Amino acid sequence: MDPLILSFALVNGLLIGGIYGGVALGLSLIFGVMRVVNFAHGSLLMLALYAAFWLQALAGIDPYASVVVTVPLLFAVGFLIQSVVIAPLIRRESALVVEPLSALLLTAGVYLVIDNLALMAFGPDVRSASTGLALAPLMLGPIPVNSQRLIAFSAAILAAILLSLWLRSTRLGRAIRATAQNRDAAALSGIDVPLIYAVTFGIGAALLGLFGSLLATFIPISPQVGLSFGIRSFIVVVLGGIGSIPGSIVGGLVIGVFEALASQFVPATSAAILSLGLFVLILLVRPSGLMGRA
Amino acid sequence: MTTSLSRRTALARGALALTAMALAAPAQAQTQPQAEIPVGWVLPLSGGSAAIGQQARAGVQIAVEQINAAGGIKALNGAKLKLVFADSQSKPDIGVSETERLIQRENVAVMSGAFNSAVTFPATEVAERYKTPWIVMGAVKDEITERNFKYVFRINNKATYDAREQLDAMDLLKKETGQGPKTLAIFYEGSDWGRSHAANVRKLAKERGYTLVLDEAAPPNQVDFSAQLLKIRAARPDALIAAFYTPDHLLLSRQLLEQQLNLPYGVHSVGGGTEDPSFYKAISPKAVAYYFVQEDRQVDALQGARLPEFTDVETKFKAQLGYDMSAYGAQGFAVMYVIKDALERARSADRQALRDAVAATDITAGPALYAGYQRIKFDEQGQNTFAHGAISQNLNGQRRTVWPAESRSPETKPAWPVPAFGARS
Amino acid sequence: MTTAHPGRPRRPFVPLPDETPTLSLGAAAPRRPHGARAAGAAVLGAILLGGLAAAALPLVVQDAYFLHSCIVVLFFAYMATAWNFVCGYVGQLSIGHAMFAGVGGYATVLLFTGLGLSPWLGMPVGGLLAALLSVVVGYPTFRLRGPYFALTTIAFAEMIRIWVENTDSVLGIPLNGAAGLTVPLRGESLAALQFNGKAPYYWVIVALLVGALAATWWLERSKLGFYLKAIRGDRDAAESLGISPARYQLVALAISAFMTGIGGGFYAQFFRYVNAERLIGVDLSIDMALMSIIGGQGTVFGPLLGAVLLAPLAEITRGSLGGSLLGLHIVVYGIILMLAVLYLPKGLIAPLRAVLARAGLGGGRR
Repeated sequence: MDPLILSFALVNGLLIGGIYGGVALGLSLIFGVMRVVNFAHGSLLMLALYAAFWLQALAGIDPYASVVVTVPLLFAVGFLIQSVVIAPLIRRESALVVEPLSALLLTAGVYLVIDNLALMAFGPDVRSASTGLALAPLMLGPIPVNSQRLIAFSAAILAAILLSLWLRSTRLGRAIRATAQNRDAAALSGIDVPLIYAVTFGIGAALLGLFGSLLATFIPISPQVGLSFGIRSFIVVVLGGIGSIPGSIVGGLVIGVFEALASQFVPATSAAILSLGLFVLILLVRPSGLMGRA
Repeated sequence: MTTSLSRRTALARGALALTAMALAAPAQAQTQPQAEIPVGWVLPLSGGSAAIGQQARAGVQIAVEQINAAGGIKALNGAKLKLVFADSQSKPDIGVSETERLIQRENVAVMSGAFNSAVTFPATEVAERYKTPWIVMGAVKDEITERNFKYVFRINNKATYDAREQLDAMDLLKKETGQGPKTLAIFYEGSDWGRSHAANVRKLAKERGYTLVLDEAAPPNQVDFSAQLLKIRAARPDALIAAFYTPDHLLLSRQLLEQQLNLPYGVHSVGGGTEDPSFYKAISPKAVAYYFVQEDRQVDALQGARLPEFTDVETKFKAQLGYDMSAYGAQGFAVMYVIKDALERARSADRQALRDAVAATDITAGPALYAGYQRIKFDEQGQNTFAHGAISQNLNGQRRTVWPAESRSPETKPAWPVPAFGARS
Repeated sequence: MTTAHPGRPRRPFVPLPDETPTLSLGAAAPRRPHGARAAGAAVLGAILLGGLAAAALPLVVQDAYFLHSCIVVLFFAYMATAWNFVCGYVGQLSIGHAMFAGVGGYATVLLFTGLGLSPWLGMPVGGLLAALLSVVVGYPTFRLRGPYFALTTIAFAEMIRIWVENTDSVLGIPLNGAAGLTVPLRGESLAALQFNGKAPYYWVIVALLVGALAATWWLERSKLGFYLKAIRGDRDAAESLGISPARYQLVALAISAFMTGIGGGFYAQFFRYVNAERLIGVDLSIDMALMSIIGGQGTVFGPLLGAVLLAPLAEITRGSLGGSLLGLHIVVYGIILMLAVLYLPKGLIAPLRAVLARAGLGGGRR
């Protein structure tokens, strides 16, 4: 196996893996704080992609500039979904920690509704956005690195760092962490738990808003695009450790590199089976993930 | 003590029975001359193939508008055609159930659809059992017209034709210029369509003396083909045969351009994404320059007179969907005219008579040839042996037919071999 | 932020309502008071009588499409009941159950085309193979809880689906990859389980459903069911009393997989075409789970109720809305799911049960 080809594969794997990690950040956060497995995670990314697309198609806004709109927009969507759809479930089950299975089913319903409303509203055709920025590939030696992916990768790393810092140093961030550790104690210390939940969900969605804008230029946009990202995000989050922000990035990188390298030796279809197998193995052997505390 | 529970169960079942019977439309008497002839269509109107289902539906609806506006079926006193659509959701069991419903409840005179081979295959068997004619649209699985069925007909290509045409085009250009590819790579989506196409290519390539240097499947809905492109680059094929649906084809084409992967004799796409008009809206022309596309329709149709029906459908199609006519819109349109032709000859909407009329179809002119065939005639298995696609090359932003030679416009000069990325303007 | 360990639930021991298992050493199934035993017999009676009544339907209604629709509904009811057999009583969410249907369906077809084995035998053999798979999959997976269990079942099912789609033949057995397998037409043949009319298929599925309901009824009353309830209530306490969760869960899973496998075989015979995407795909798993949950998991009739309501609803919305607005019927489905999860967590059967309990004709145990 040509070492140049392998290193090319490695670089690609890192890039796409970092992107997966960034996309999965929101899922990790939401699960870590609320114990809700958000089945609609991919659907929200799909909405963000469409938002970026329509902003360009209708208002001529470059996808990179549209971040200013998509992030708050998706925050609002996430906030709303939590307050309106999921909060009643948590209220009902307030005697126990929310039954994670009901939340999974509920968010599955959300996924079905969002994906198919998108199909109805936007039609089934595949769309794509393009950026006005002329970005030549960055050359790492002989290896061309696609600039758009590099930007998304950098954004993922940056977002993870900023999010970690924010959670640690701001009052709101600390409140979120407190709620994650012990909801009842947090409530007793005066934290408005339902608000925290809504904000957390909003932040998780807002992160997707960011990536929707960044990915719109090179990911084909269709109503179905959400599901595969959603499943990938689960794998990443489990691999990296539920609720661990750096874990999300690490998990993403591991998956990305693994698939990229494996695809050199076996067809991508078999590599997909291997990824799933890896996922199962991690769950059985080290369920807390790579960066979670056992 | 048993009464309450058993009564509940019985009540539940009774309610179900009553509800279902209430929903059942009364069967139309079939003896009186019908003012409306119901035509059933099973299409994927949701799910992954929804775009194509929508295109086909548009073509079908416009054709029926035209036919009804022109006076309906003259042999039946101007009876109008009435369309009944059903969503298969691309699932075989739903396609089968919907077929049952259309045949039994809606009493359709003829069925059509269903694009997805996995749906069409079992659903046509239902039609065969109920002795209802079915004219296949879109599905390429060979076995659909290899079962000795009497009621199933197909106007479009079988899967084997598609593969054969791709290689025929290469052979033709090789003959004309003295140069051609010796090694091929096939890269395809890993489900039914991609794999069956790859299997056909493999077989034919062997027969015709091509060497396959890469034979790779990819799962659908990828976000990155870098890994596979590396493999293709390492294998150095002379030409690449690709079979992907729209999202993956978009990604592939973009990344081929980005990575400046040169293929001396070009990319040969067997449709899927590259016959989807929305694909061309979403991709930069640079990425598809010089692409060879096999599709079931000639984009720059030369044959025969340019009928007013064609202009009409193209305008309305574009108005409805926002992009130009697609192969599946054209096929849907064509099938409706085949049905009209058969109804006129059968002089009856009775299924058996209609079936016999369809079997005797021999169309050499008219709107039914919109899909680009020169003739529609079904063999004993129900296959239109005159079905063929066309291979076009994307030259200066336009798709120009290069194969068959008779369909090539004299102005079209195929680029063979295909210029490298560095040499392109 | 703490990480949730997937192997340990964090909630305190709160017995689920309706189930207050009294654990004792040397646990034997508790003796039931007379009233409950009679109610139990009533349920069994209902199942059998209901089955007979249902079987009489084709004698009254001949309409082929109506029978076809009933068969589809009963098929899903059967699959949901089979799913509920393990998931309703163990309290886990399996979204990969379709892999058992796939194994059963493929085995039935391959045994028929390869060895000429009648589906009457092929279906149980397929069921056994599915049960075997379930033990292999379940043994490591049952250690996980909640969503982790669910995600793992999806992962296993997807691995199998992708593998089947990519494999043309293995060990000489033609799997045909993504193209799927067809059951060769034999016309009217009892031995080949193929019929020209709908009624025989209908009777087969009614018989299968009655069997599944009866099995669930038996489960509720058996030692196995008792142990499962204990494990569901508090796994650690049960374990400390010597009840091995793994063993009993696996038994329940194997039986459930066996039934699901037979269901896959029936699907193969009825539609005469199987492919990995439909029969091993996640959509089928979700259908099975949803019908059971919305109807009321952990009960005998819940899944049947769920199927009877959801399957025709899906068909009706598809029929009236599917042709016009893309995907609208699935939106409706999703909304119903959300409403059910929020407002009817115990399933639609809960209000019915409450009514019956108030009338003093409890079908459950106190």
